[in-house]
Amino acid sequence: MGELQRRIVLVTGASGIWGRRVAARLVTYSAYHVIGLDEQRPTEAVVGLEFVQASVRDPMVADLMKARGVDTVCHLAFLESEQPQESAFEANVMGASRLLCACSDTGVRKVVVKSSMDVYGACATNPAFLGEDHPLQGNRRYGYVRDMVEIETLCSGFRQHVPGLMMSILRFPSIIGPTVDTPMTRLLSETWMPTLLGFDPMMQLIHEEDVVGALVHAVLNDVPGVFNAAAKDVLPLNKIRALAGKRPVSLLHPLAYWALRLSGAGSRLTRRLPIDPDYLRFTCVGDLARMSRELGFEPRHSAEAAVREFAERTVRRT
Amino acid sequence: MGDAESQELIAELERLTKQAQAAAPDSDPPLSSVQRLRACLEELIARYPEEMRSTALEPMREALSAGRLDADLLKGVWYLATYTLDHGVDLVRRHYSGEYQTDAWGLHREFLNAVRPFFAFLYKVYWRVETAGLENVPSEGRALLVANHSGQLPWDGTMLTLAVLSEHPAQRLARVLYSGMFPGVPFISSWLVRMGGTLAAVENCTRLLEQDELVVVFPEGYKGIGKTFRHRYVLARFGRGGFVRAALSSGAPIIPVAVVGAEETYISLHKSSTLAAITGMPYFPITPTFPWLGVLGFVPLPTKWTIDFGKPIPTAGYGRDAADNPALVLQLTDEVRSVVQDMLDDRLARRRSVFR
Repeated sequence: MGELQRRIVLVTGASGIWGRRVAARLVTYSAYHVIGLDEQRPTEAVVGLEFVQASVRDPMVADLMKARGVDTVCHLAFLESEQPQESAFEANVMGASRLLCACSDTGVRKVVVKSSMDVYGACATNPAFLGEDHPLQGNRRYGYVRDMVEIETLCSGFRQHVPGLMMSILRFPSIIGPTVDTPMTRLLSETWMPTLLGFDPMMQLIHEEDVVGALVHAVLNDVPGVFNAAAKDVLPLNKIRALAGKRPVSLLHPLAYWALRLSGAGSRLTRRLPIDPDYLRFTCVGDLARMSRELGFEPRHSAEAAVREFAERTVRRT
Repeated sequence: MGDAESQELIAELERLTKQAQAAAPDSDPPLSSVQRLRACLEELIARYPEEMRSTALEPMREALSAGRLDADLLKGVWYLATYTLDHGVDLVRRHYSGEYQTDAWGLHREFLNAVRPFFAFLYKVYWRVETAGLENVPSEGRALLVANHSGQLPWDGTMLTLAVLSEHPAQRLARVLYSGMFPGVPFISSWLVRMGGTLAAVENCTRLLEQDELVVVFPEGYKGIGKTFRHRYVLARFGRGGFVRAALSSGAPIIPVAVVGAEETYISLHKSSTLAAITGMPYFPITPTFPWLGVLGFVPLPTKWTIDFGKPIPTAGYGRDAADNPALVLQLTDEVRSVVQDMLDDRLARRRSVFR
């Protein structure tokens, strides 16, 4: 196939954990030419990837898109910080905003965004399975949840007003795996895991490889819409903790909220409690009907197998 | 004690029990009688695995039937005790290492079996629950049980579930939809989920019915459970008809249920809005014992309960779009409410005493 017929895919955050892996998978498809975009140079280069060192907020990104005729953008540049930081907000929300504007201006055909089920928010009134149309009531205490809700609101605006731009938004639950660093793996990193006394919400998980798999699937196939994507089985939090071999530190929930309120940004508490206490208290589980029916993606790992693998690998590491 | 002697003793006991029964035909035989012992054993046997039945339980049952109190029986009791202990220890150990299974809603069957004896005691001994019309509950397929709510604490939900689980031939586990105040309450929230409950939301109700489950709803909500004593057995508003919408969109029949007896388990004289606001509860009852006696105030009165299951009201004929028709939803809600009220009035008219 000639160079001209190859579809050009732009992967943002190409030096990050997700960008690097998605790009590495995409370059194996001969029908695609992959451009990686990131502010930092990657620690190990992906063979076959054309790397451009720039921020997503850089105005030259629009020029790049126009000049190269970018077909699909896979947006994976996201700073996952617990504290609500202005710098992270700027990079995450303003970055997504500028990128989407550039896409709609330059005639990009499709955008794939990695989002999170955190955007629904964990609250007492949640039904046991949340559909994609459920209102976004994500908690604003933690920076990464707040920023993701903003990005999703932005995306739905673009979906309404720029109908020519196809958008696939994938909402993932807590991500677990032997090599990634996510709020969930941080929660399970110490021998003692903080829990809320008397609460044991049902939780969804997804294996790191399935996250990459789902994103690549959305790039390769044209599936417009918003999708929950998670492993099929739902586990109680206490089972996840026990399978991972961690012991519980049971906090009284009013004390946990109170301590969080008193300790402002940059506190050590959020590092020990990388997931907002609401998500350790109430259920926030997505309905996966659309994933099977419309997205056509099936995760390869069950949540239980993912936790067992995580436990095994972390024991071996230490 | 010789064999002949013990035989004689058992025969004497049996004779006395029969005499007592003849004098008072309605009374149950005492717990210690051979009849009751055998009934308990029969129930236990049903729950144990096959190998256990043949090695320990069968000889024991035979010994009991023959009225022998011999070595076989003692051996059987010993096996049973050690097995039960091992089983319990294993259950706790597996729970702590995470080696247990729940369904996607969080139902944990082993947890349910572990707490079941406590509720069975309340069901059989404490409240002496009687049921009528269980044949109206289908053995398979979806159905929505709609009951009156009463008694300050949601004991009626557990008793209703146990009635279907232990007395219906299909032994179905009904999924109870609980009110929105429970997800925020520690321990209770997780126990309810493990016992197969879920939040009372139209989405949950519809989804469970579409999975062909048996679902229990109490449409009165707080207004029903928190009733003061002088309003007993007068149904409150039946929510906003969410349960009817769920039944219509899934085509599930509605089975009206009347629970009598739960209303008198606590005598709520007054609802304190001040204390409710302070404690964050949706209602705060003042009873002769609560809050004055603290935890003791939670002990319910040993009233006599009856649970009546009414004739199913079909909804499949209206079509799936009928759930969006507010007039129909309102009409069906009122219909179900009046059927439940009639069933309550009927049972109350036939009731001889609150405690008997």
